[in-house]
This record gives sequence, C-alpha cells and structure tokens, in this order.
Amino acid sequence: MGIRGSCAVIGYGETQFAKLKDSAGRTNYSEQCLAAKAAIADAGIDKDEIDGLISIVPLDQKSSWTMDLSEYLQLNVKFMDNMYFGGASGNAAILYSAAAIQAGLCSTVLLVGGSVLDTSMVYEFGMEDSIPFEHDFDTIYGPMIDNSAYALIKQRYMYEFGARQEQFAKVVQNARYHAARFPNALLKKEVHVEDVLASRMICDPLHLFEIVMPCTGACALILTSAERARELANPPVYLLGGGQAIDRGMWHPAYGRSGSLTTSPVREAARQAYAMAGLGIKDMDFLQLYDCYTITVVISLEDVGCCENGKGAEFVEKTDLTYNGELPVNTDGGQLGRGQSYGGGHFVHAVEAVRQLMGRAGDLQVPDARFGLVNGNGGSMANECTLIFGNEVPKGGVL
Amino acid sequence: MTAEGKPVPDILPDTREYWEAASRGELLVQTCCSCGSKQYFPRLLCHRCLSEDLGWTKSSGMGTVYSYTVIHQAAHQTFAPDVPYVYAIIELDEGVRMISNVVNTDVSKVHIGMKVKVFFHRLSDTISIPRFEPVQQADTE
Repeated sequence: MGIRGSCAVIGYGETQFAKLKDSAGRTNYSEQCLAAKAAIADAGIDKDEIDGLISIVPLDQKSSWTMDLSEYLQLNVKFMDNMYFGGASGNAAILYSAAAIQAGLCSTVLLVGGSVLDTSMVYEFGMEDSIPFEHDFDTIYGPMIDNSAYALIKQRYMYEFGARQEQFAKVVQNARYHAARFPNALLKKEVHVEDVLASRMICDPLHLFEIVMPCTGACALILTSAERARELANPPVYLLGGGQAIDRGMWHPAYGRSGSLTTSPVREAARQAYAMAGLGIKDMDFLQLYDCYTITVVISLEDVGCCENGKGAEFVEKTDLTYNGELPVNTDGGQLGRGQSYGGGHFVHAVEAVRQLMGRAGDLQVPDARFGLVNGNGGSMANECTLIFGNEVPKGGVL
Repeated sequence: MTAEGKPVPDILPDTREYWEAASRGELLVQTCCSCGSKQYFPRLLCHRCLSEDLGWTKSSGMGTVYSYTVIHQAAHQTFAPDVPYVYAIIELDEGVRMISNVVNTDVSKVHIGMKVKVFFHRLSDTISIPRFEPVQQADTE
C-alpha cells in the first residue's frame, strides 16, 4: 500500500493575518503555538496524541527552531523535522509526514508554519544573509530579492508568448475578489484589472499589486492515519497524491538561470501527484496554487495541465476562476489577497483545500467539492511540491 | 552606477582567478578539462561530471540580454541612487548565463535579445565588476 488514501487531515488552525504595525505583542512563538492550538482543538484530539512535528523555521530563527517549539509546547514526538526550502516546504512536509505515518514512524503529525515578518526584514535577510556565491555573483548587482527573480521570469514569458499585462492583472482581480469575502484576509479591498495596471511599477514588469505583501500570521494542520481520522468529528480530508520536483538551475540567480524560465518543475510534481492519485486535472474541483506573484500562478496553471505552455495568461483571461466559476482558483484569496506570512504561507493553500473539502468555506464554498489540487512553490520556481486531496478515496486508480 | 558603499565580492579560493582576471579586464568562464562543460560562476568541481580538473575560457565579452527587469525600488539602500536600473540575465556568446547590470543606456531601450558587451567597473585596486552596455554599431563592424 502506498501513500494514496492512507492519511487524512483532521483539523486546521490559523492566527489573524496582520501587518507588522498591527502585530504588537506577537512573536514567532505566539504565531506557531496559537495556530497549533487552534488546529488541535479543531481536530478534537488530545495534545498528547501528537507524536510528530514538522515546522517551518522562521527566517530570523535558528535551525534548532523545531526542537525549541516541541519543548515549548511540551510535545512527545518521535518524528521531527525542520523545513527550510521556501514555499514548497509546507506541501513537502505534508507528503513526508504521510510517508512517515504510513511507514509506522509515528501516527499523528502537527504541521505548522508562521512568523512575524515585514518587507524590510525580507530584504535584510535577502541582502545580508546571503551565502558566499550568492553575494559575490548576484547581490553585487542589486537584485530586489524575490521580486527581481520573478520579474525576470515574467519578462521572458511575455517575450516568448506575447502575454499582456492585463492578463496577469486578472490573477490579482481574482485573488482580491475572494479575499474581500474571506474573513482572515489582509487585503479586503476588491481591485480590478485597471487598478492593478495603475499600481506602481516596482520591478518592471511586476506592479505593486502583483507582489505579495509580507505579513504576520500562521497556519497549522494535523495529519493522521485514515483509520484514526474516521473516528473523529471532522470529515477526513484524504491525501490522495503527492509529488515533488526540483529544477537544477533556478534557485539562486547567481547560477544564471540555466534552465527554461517559462516552464517549471510543477509539471513533473503534478504528474507524480496525478499518477499517485489516479486522477487528472479534469477531476479537480478547485486549485490552490502558490501565488507569490502573478507569473507563478500563470505558469503553474499550465504545468498542472490546464492548458499548454504559453497559453496560461490567455487561460486566466478567458476563465472564471472564482469559487463558483468554471475553475475555482485560490478561493480564500491566496497569498496575493490574504498577505504572505513567512511559514504560514507555506501551509495556507493546503488549509484552504481542507476547508473546502470539509465543506466549511462558507460564502466561498465550491459547490460539491470532492477533489482539489494544492501546489507549493519555492526558490523562484525551483522547488515544487504538488498535493491532491479528496474527501473520499476513489476506487481504482494507481495504488 | 555608483560604487559608494555597495556590496563588494569576497575573493575566495574557488573564485580568485576569476576576480584577478576581472581586475585585468578579462571575463573568464570556467571550463571542465574532462567533459568540456562550461559553468558560471566558478566552482570547486564541474557541475556536470564532478571533475575537479577545471580550466578557464576567456570570454569574448559579447552577449545577449536573455531577460531583465527595471528595478524602480532598491532593496538595499546603496542601490537607491541608481533607480531605475537594469538587473539582467546575460547569455554570453560562450553559452553560459550570468546575472549582471545593463548600464550606459536609457533603461527603456533595454530589451530581450539586445546585444551587449562587457566592461569592467573598477571598485578598488583589486576588484572590478563585470557589467554590460549595449554594443555600438562600431563594435560589430
């Protein structure tokens, strides 16, 4: 038996997403502990049932963070890991936890990420914490950290395929449509294509509204065996498939971006996830796609199979991506609408998938949602981890 | 671009020859003596075959803009006087890509496919940084 259907998410929790100026009294500990507490309560289990822990190390914490957190929460765990490879870490943490549960290393894993962080801190870490070759072959040329890395991708994409700015702007319009209706979103004001185009050019061709706003917040999930999940009050949300892929030349710009800028490892990660689940893009009732920038969503849509390479921007333009549209995407507003919590953002898309599949998305509920895809992206489209969840385990498929 | 206070590369064992060449006005591309593979930036071993037997190819200094961004808001205060400036991927004629800046031109004129050539921006007696500028008509004739 493989991972498919062997584990399920039984609960989730979030803290309030907030700007740094509104984060007085909050710390990396308060974020991760309170999200964890909420997830444990939501799952309806005793804290002592948790015997596994994976946490996303906040940018300004030491690599011992997960051990520190385990002790702070007084957990007795026999499976533990730090995750520190960007936005794909959350999904990978879920996938690795499922493998550990399935292998008998542990039974119930708490997955948590979140921190207190703002833009200036991101830049500070990016510029001053860089590793030697990054400093010597990239930082000296004045990058705007992630903004410039994704701007290079978007510029090349527009050149190769003739994609237009208003097509990218539709990604933001969709995100903010959902965020305006989602209780725990930072950016509550709806914006339209023309507003995005009128927003300040930060890192041409990326406008301000196409770039996530770093914020305070945390998300947590609890994963356990399918058998245990069926004993609990929440409807189990089964992990049906997962896959991970890493590009050799896309992480540090210092390497000069040796790979293609316009296709991504999402293609391979999604292929693995579909194969494991025995499902395809047509079976997906929604997609929760890592959305640090508009270009990330456009390329991810292509690479999860919505359309061929180069047609993603046009697909966005022509498709209703709202929760009750043709293909619901980022139904809580995603990070472009909710703000990007470092660490919380690693799990935010999985949490929304679970919320939808438990039927708890309220005004933003995707009708009759059964299966959904979640993509996590890290390292400027270098690391990708795709998961497929369902509120049932379909018969057949590849086991 | 100004040099004032900007990050300066550290000369490390793997990169010493590269920076010494840059200081003389030469752009070197590390080349594997076993498999012939070229790589940027210089490393301890070949990224393709893991050979430690590495040599150097002197680049013509000519290249093409593979992608670029015009940065309007500097992430680091020392680049603030330079905005808007161009941060780009340059594909050298030798085949490797590197990050650099395209300068000495109106930022609105920079485009993908633009032919550029290296020049060396001297920061100190020992450090010169390769940056790029548009190829003028006279350079290609």
